[in-house]
Amino acid sequence: MTTEARHPHLLKPTNPPIIVGHRCISCEQIAFPPDPYGCEKCGSPASNFESWDLEARGSVRAVAMVYRHHRPTPPTPFTVAVIDLVGGPVVKAIVEGDDAAVGSSVEGFLVPEDQDDVGNVIVDLRFRVIQ
Amino acid sequence: MNAPGFLSTRPVFVVGIGLHRYQRRSDETYVSLGLTAVREALVDAGVDWTDIDAAYTGTALLGMGASRIMLSRLGATGIPMTQVENASASGSSSVAQACLEVASGRSDVVVALGVDKPRGGLGAAPGEAGIANLEAGSIVPFTHFALLASEYMHLHAVTDEQVAKVAVKNHRNGSQNPFAQRQKIRTLDEVLAEPISGSLTRLQCCPVGEGAAAVIIASEDGINRLGVDRSRAMQVVASATKTEGLYAEGVGIDAALTAETGAAAFHEAGLGPSDLDVLEVHDAFAIEELLYAEALGLCKPGEAASRIESGDFDIGGSCAFSPSGGLLAMGHPIGPTGVGQVVEVVRQLRNEAGSRQQPNARVGMAHMVGIGAVCVVHILRKP
Ligand SMILES: [Zn+2]
Repeated sequence: MTTEARHPHLLKPTNPPIIVGHRCISCEQIAFPPDPYGCEKCGSPASNFESWDLEARGSVRAVAMVYRHHRPTPPTPFTVAVIDLVGGPVVKAIVEGDDAAVGSSVEGFLVPEDQDDVGNVIVDLRFRVIQ
Repeated sequence: MNAPGFLSTRPVFVVGIGLHRYQRRSDETYVSLGLTAVREALVDAGVDWTDIDAAYTGTALLGMGASRIMLSRLGATGIPMTQVENASASGSSSVAQACLEVASGRSDVVVALGVDKPRGGLGAAPGEAGIANLEAGSIVPFTHFALLASEYMHLHAVTDEQVAKVAVKNHRNGSQNPFAQRQKIRTLDEVLAEPISGSLTRLQCCPVGEGAAAVIIASEDGINRLGVDRSRAMQVVASATKTEGLYAEGVGIDAALTAETGAAAFHEAGLGPSDLDVLEVHDAFAIEELLYAEALGLCKPGEAASRIESGDFDIGGSCAFSPSGGLLAMGHPIGPTGVGQVVEVVRQLRNEAGSRQQPNARVGMAHMVGIGAVCVVHILRKP
């Protein structure tokens, strides 16, 4: 039995978890999510990219509690945030708890979401406020 | 790139306008919706369908081949017909294509219409691009804008109530518009009820229903040949389209793209923000009106909320924002929306807007953004 990320090319299920972006070797642009096609800055094909690890840590740029959702998961209400990662890129993600505010420092952690047929635990990334 | 002045080399005018009321999804077919708007525009212009040289249909949801089965019921004249899809700006882009066709000299009289009926979802292509993201599925458009509202309100110390006042104003304007989907005056308390996401409530989110809008675009040659009433012909002095560039991390793309596209339109028209008397913006969510007022240069960053509160953006203020009711009250049936904005601007410039007339309106702008992101801006002027 192992632990696997829901989106293995976006997330390494380590402790602490690592967010995976890309870096363009031609123009040094660092981006998230990692792109399979090409560089928005210089037009290089994705074959010119290297995988780029990003710490799942940053500060909240914007936050919203979602009251209505078109799917059963995540159950409402839940909180989403725009997070300026310490490594540069900006991500949007679910934040657990109700204490996130603009400017809060947050860190990523893994939550079990599901189990596959052979018992592997599928995990996904959440953020939480660090004091 | 936008060739500066292509609309001044051969001037183009809106000579006819027509609408089918925006409404909740009904059993009425899109053919019936579209024909209602086009017939009204033909009557308004005083021209016959046989005078029309070409047609552009803005639609995002109907699927392929929508135009001929609809427009041939005005007479199967065999004219070129083209469908235009540009997300929420589909109708705006059909107007842009019609203007380009007339300005090029290829045609003298062209109809641009927008028509749509809502389906289960938007069917947007970016979701099929194979680019997964962390928040997949949890951030839909209203939450995208709720997050922009959070950032803006924090940065400028703006309250929920101040943002909600955008919706109070636009619902009030919509109550005076017989073509609006929402025609009720709403109090601040009513607008603040029923939270959806972040500070956004139900009445701060646009309804996506069905409807149709049409404009007839003509050259001076066309106006003269067909004996169109020149006093009701409003000139299109700018038509600008841009897509999202590569902005700094975290920059709000909708406002940045609006600033660039608005600047291109002002440059083309030789006008500036202080020249605008009416402005129909993409106010799909209340926060957007504040963001775009600032991005388009109508006020300084952080000032828009106080300008709304002072009544400066009301009908009768320095620039009437969304006098039609905007997307929030008139509605956002997708394909028709951008054409309907031009209809409202023309009505205002003609001084035919009745109880929602902006006094002495001479210059107006129509602005849409769409998924992609794309932005289309037109400026019209009373000659
Ligand atoms: Zn590059």
